Amino acid sequence: MKKSLMILGNVLIVLLILTFLTFYTSSEHRRLLASQTEAFENMTVAMENVTTNYLLGEQQVCRSWANYINASHMTAQEAIDFVGASVTAPEIMAHILFTDRAELSGISTVPKAGSDGDFAVSYANINIFSGGFEELLGKESTVNVTRAYTNPTNAIQSIAFCSPITLLETPEGPSREAVLLRIIPVASFEQRWTFPTEDYRSAEVSLIDLEGNYIIHGHSFKNTNFYEFYQSYNHAGRAHMEEVKQSVSGRPGTLVLSNAQGQQCLAAHTRVNSTDHWILVTMIPMSQLGRTAMDWILIVIISVGLLALLAFNIMWLVRLNRQLKAAAAEAERANQAKTDFLSTMSHDIRTPMNAIIGLTAIAEKNVEDSRTVRESLHKISLAGSHLLTLINDILDISKVESGKLSLSPVTFSIVECAENLINLSQPMVREKNIDFNFRVNRFEHEYLYADQLRINQIFINLLSNALKYTEPGGRVSVDLREETGDSDSTVRLIYRVADTGIGMTPEFMAKMYQPFSRQTDSRVNTIQGTGLGLAITWQMIDLMHGSIDCQSELGKGTVFTVTLCLPLADKPAEEMKLDPIRVLIADDDEVLLTTAKDTLLSLGAQADTALSGAEAVRMASGGETYQVVILDWKMPDMDGIEVARKIRESVGSQVPILLISAYDWSDLEEAAKDAGISGFISKPLFRSTLYEKLSEALGKAKNNANQEDDKSDIAGMRILVAEDNDINWEIISMLLSMHGITAERAENGQLAVDRMTHAEKGDFDLIFMDIQMPVMNGLDAARAIRALPDPWAAGIPIIAMTADAFSENVAECIAAGMNGHIAKPIDMKLVLKEIRRIREEQKK
Amino acid sequence: MRRTDKKIMVAAFCLALALCLSGCSSQETPAQPNAAAGFAPELDTKTVGSINVVGHYNNFEALEEEFNRFNQYYPEVKLSYTYLDNYSGILETALNSADAPDIYFVYPSMSGRENGEGVYASAENLADPSLRIGLDCIRESLLYKGQSGSVYSVPVYTTTYGMLVNEAIFEKEKLSVPKTYEELMTVCEALKKAGYESPVMSFNQNSFLLLPLYYPYFCAQLQASPDALREVNAMTPAAADTVRPILEQAEDFMKRGLISLENCNQLENDYNAVIMRFFEGDVPMMLATANTVSGTEKRESQSEAFTAHPFRYSFHPVPSTKDGGYFVNSISMGFAVNKNSKNLAITNEFMRFLVSSEELNRMARAKRMVTPCKDMALDEVYASFGSLSSDRIINLSELELSSAADWQVRKAVWQVCNGGMTVDEAIAAFGTIE
Repeated sequence: MKKSLMILGNVLIVLLILTFLTFYTSSEHRRLLASQTEAFENMTVAMENVTTNYLLGEQQVCRSWANYINASHMTAQEAIDFVGASVTAPEIMAHILFTDRAELSGISTVPKAGSDGDFAVSYANINIFSGGFEELLGKESTVNVTRAYTNPTNAIQSIAFCSPITLLETPEGPSREAVLLRIIPVASFEQRWTFPTEDYRSAEVSLIDLEGNYIIHGHSFKNTNFYEFYQSYNHAGRAHMEEVKQSVSGRPGTLVLSNAQGQQCLAAHTRVNSTDHWILVTMIPMSQLGRTAMDWILIVIISVGLLALLAFNIMWLVRLNRQLKAAAAEAERANQAKTDFLSTMSHDIRTPMNAIIGLTAIAEKNVEDSRTVRESLHKISLAGSHLLTLINDILDISKVESGKLSLSPVTFSIVECAENLINLSQPMVREKNIDFNFRVNRFEHEYLYADQLRINQIFINLLSNALKYTEPGGRVSVDLREETGDSDSTVRLIYRVADTGIGMTPEFMAKMYQPFSRQTDSRVNTIQGTGLGLAITWQMIDLMHGSIDCQSELGKGTVFTVTLCLPLADKPAEEMKLDPIRVLIADDDEVLLTTAKDTLLSLGAQADTALSGAEAVRMASGGETYQVVILDWKMPDMDGIEVARKIRESVGSQVPILLISAYDWSDLEEAAKDAGISGFISKPLFRSTLYEKLSEALGKAKNNANQEDDKSDIAGMRILVAEDNDINWEIISMLLSMHGITAERAENGQLAVDRMTHAEKGDFDLIFMDIQMPVMNGLDAARAIRALPDPWAAGIPIIAMTADAFSENVAECIAAGMNGHIAKPIDMKLVLKEIRRIREEQKK
Repeated sequence: MRRTDKKIMVAAFCLALALCLSGCSSQETPAQPNAAAGFAPELDTKTVGSINVVGHYNNFEALEEEFNRFNQYYPEVKLSYTYLDNYSGILETALNSADAPDIYFVYPSMSGRENGEGVYASAENLADPSLRIGLDCIRESLLYKGQSGSVYSVPVYTTTYGMLVNEAIFEKEKLSVPKTYEELMTVCEALKKAGYESPVMSFNQNSFLLLPLYYPYFCAQLQASPDALREVNAMTPAAADTVRPILEQAEDFMKRGLISLENCNQLENDYNAVIMRFFEGDVPMMLATANTVSGTEKRESQSEAFTAHPFRYSFHPVPSTKDGGYFVNSISMGFAVNKNSKNLAITNEFMRFLVSSEELNRMARAKRMVTPCKDMALDEVYASFGSLSSDRIINLSELELSSAADWQVRKAVWQVCNGGMTVDEAIAAFGTIE
């Protein structure tokens, strides 16, 4: 889904929720408001009932007084005395006003406030009878009450109930008309208007007449007239005002208006039944009514929350998208790299495959020509080896990428490691005529405890790169030295490979440890490589907590230095002591001479050194008698063979002459023997190598050179091979038979188990077990065999022989009860080594 | 999803939740007082009490605003305003009653303010230093001080005479508001020609007709000449020299037919009727006082004509001389504090709050009256008064024109204007005109 579409969807959902929320709450608000409006109107009507009852009651009292006064023919003083005596509540008083006087004066039941017994009262400047006396008093059936006014006796806002009375001017005199006022403070009246609920605490009441003039004036009702008030704050035109007046003076109802503070208010109105010209108006801010119905704060919070959530989601989505885009780009890059890699692999795999298939065809066609067949098979073997290296690299990088690369430390000999390195490098050194030097300096400990396989891989990768990328005739130097480690149980192994090859650019150096990286160079493109070697090397060094340093200059060469801190093996150093012999050693490499001299001294021999062939000839022909002469093959003035020939002329054939070479000596073996060379020592000159070769030359140590060819120890062994693949079975059975070993096949795991179930003790010496087989796989078969009741059968050594070559596969095999693991394609040397190991263990 | 991302999400949701919960809190934030920046309560702000102000205004919304502002400091004090019928007649009764007010309106016409007599007998001396009421913000001439320096009332509103000008008519007729008497005549003639039957209108009762035209000039004459003032107060024949010019000016104005008596007589009162008539929109100039102007804003919406065709208007000095008009300033209404108040402490605190330039100016603006404060912050409708030089400002309270003489002048002019007397007859009858 597109990002914009997703955001739009989110926005729509939020808007939908907000719209629904708004509509729902608005609808609820309207419903509740309507209900509360109705309730407020009803409350106003109820209040009118209270008002009516109160007014009628008060009017009745006033009228009763008047009736009594009229019936009793009282003078004004008698009347006021009577009324004064009749008043029960202190806040109530009465006035009698003589209507025949223009100034509307009279007498009061109580004296004027602050006066000394002044009972006179005047309403001259107070217009309390808006409709005139006649109109007010002419209606017997209604309540005759004034507007709220300031009582001239005590200046308290009051209303007065009126009744006409007739008084005598003197007890005997003529009568005169007057009005009796029963005066009640507005505050007392307002006490009757108690709103029934707390919700209406802000409500206020006013009484108005038909013209809108206030009779009783609520605090929030401004102006002197209700309609003026409405018009002042609601900008109403004449027509609208007429409607308002009609509405207010008609049936009970409500209207919405703005008050002086601009608040929306609800006003309810109803005619006061006890009067024909009064209207009760109540008013309350709408916010008071709507408060319980509409929680705007909640809505705002929800809205803000949703919008925040939306914003957060969008931000999150954008961030996620960015990450996805980056990941996609990364994946794209990786994919491209793998495509490139596969393309390269295709080329790299097809090349040796082409050689294998082509040479196989050549061999088939020339099967009678043994030389052609041998050459073809040799080349097929080389192509096969290259193919295997390629596959191993791919497997290793696969492990690196999955993070499953792990170390399997074993005790190993660094001497063997170096020898192996030299052996492996020889073909290319010779092929490219490279000046190859391998120096070992101050090497005290031969046995170390580390992952030999991986260390070999590191050393081989770097060395093979140096050899590959060095032009023919160039120089490659390897220095392997030992330094004191962090503790007594460790050594620091420093491996330095320097070449005079094509070098690298700084740009490539920045990414050379990334998988599938190969320098873009026309010279590089012609060289076979996977672009994985350095990546694997770097990972392995990192895994061993070592370091790798690279100095390179384009066109001048490269120097890789690897430093590994490795633990020493527990294996004690073999006691190596020579007889006190005298040795002459000749080499143009001073460093080598120094180290070789030191080593020979440590072995108990005395050594003299010569820096050239001529010097060696002179020294050997001199007075000194040397028990052994060691010569470097390549010396500038004279090669080792020539030197040997000359020395042999003077010293005879008894003194062993050994030739030192970092090169494969097979090609020069014949010439060397003709010149009187007794044997060869390969560089580097390890202590153990020198001891072994000198002992051998002096006839002290046994010659193990042909041990590999000695098949007597394994001949006659019987091996059960569980293998479903016919070709694989054919290969292994043939190879084993070549070593005098009898193999019996089981086509799957189940058959192997069955065979072992019925086997007699001694029928087999061990089992080679394939893992992936039909019916029952090798792991289950191993477990089943280990569970057999016969102790011999259950304890028979089982070696996995499988193309599952990862370390976890090895671990699975061991966990299933197997004793070892050989990866396919099989290396017969390894197979024999494993067989011999088993054999040795059985003997023990 | 990475752990960091999860943490961010959780933190964001916690924050949103906290915001929501804080938003759900029912506790309301107390209102922050924004009133009277210089005011600091001196009593316990939790003081419970009530203050009742009585006066003759039917409504006093400007004061109610001040109540609200005072309540921001003293929320437990209940303040109210009560209109009293027949205010002048009943005030003493109210002050003697059981429910005597705490603060009451006073007017310049109420006698005894210098000596604390009459209604001032109940008034507290607001100049008492212990009250710390900031009287110094009020123009000195408006404070009536007794011999002992006592001040029994504080002016709240002041007024002046002038004319309401319908600016729309002036714009329509391409005329400028006149600045001199000659310009006034020219403008009136032009308006007359343009069809305005009565270019100037004025309330024609209580001797008010043309009062804003001649009275400021008359006062200026008296202020300039103590002898003239003495003669006018004594109402001697010699006062004729001072009175005659204004009578002749009024007569001249009437003779020119620039004001329609018939129209003026239709104005029932000098407040609502004058304002509503002016809002009809066909009166170029309406003579009035600031008291009248104070009711204009509220009545704009009450006037159907004005609502239908609103127009800009302003209040200007009437240019009664060749040098322009005058700003005759007099007290419109003041406050006195009942010294017998049951709530005297909080009442004095309210007065301390109210008597400041900020609050009194605010009240003046709210009611469109002229402030009594020294800084003269005038509503924009009075803008032209603000441009008058100080020599054209007359403080009526300083003039010491006797009430009797004042009324004789007004009556004389009114008689001349209404054709009851000639100028000579009015001069002859000066001092005895009924």
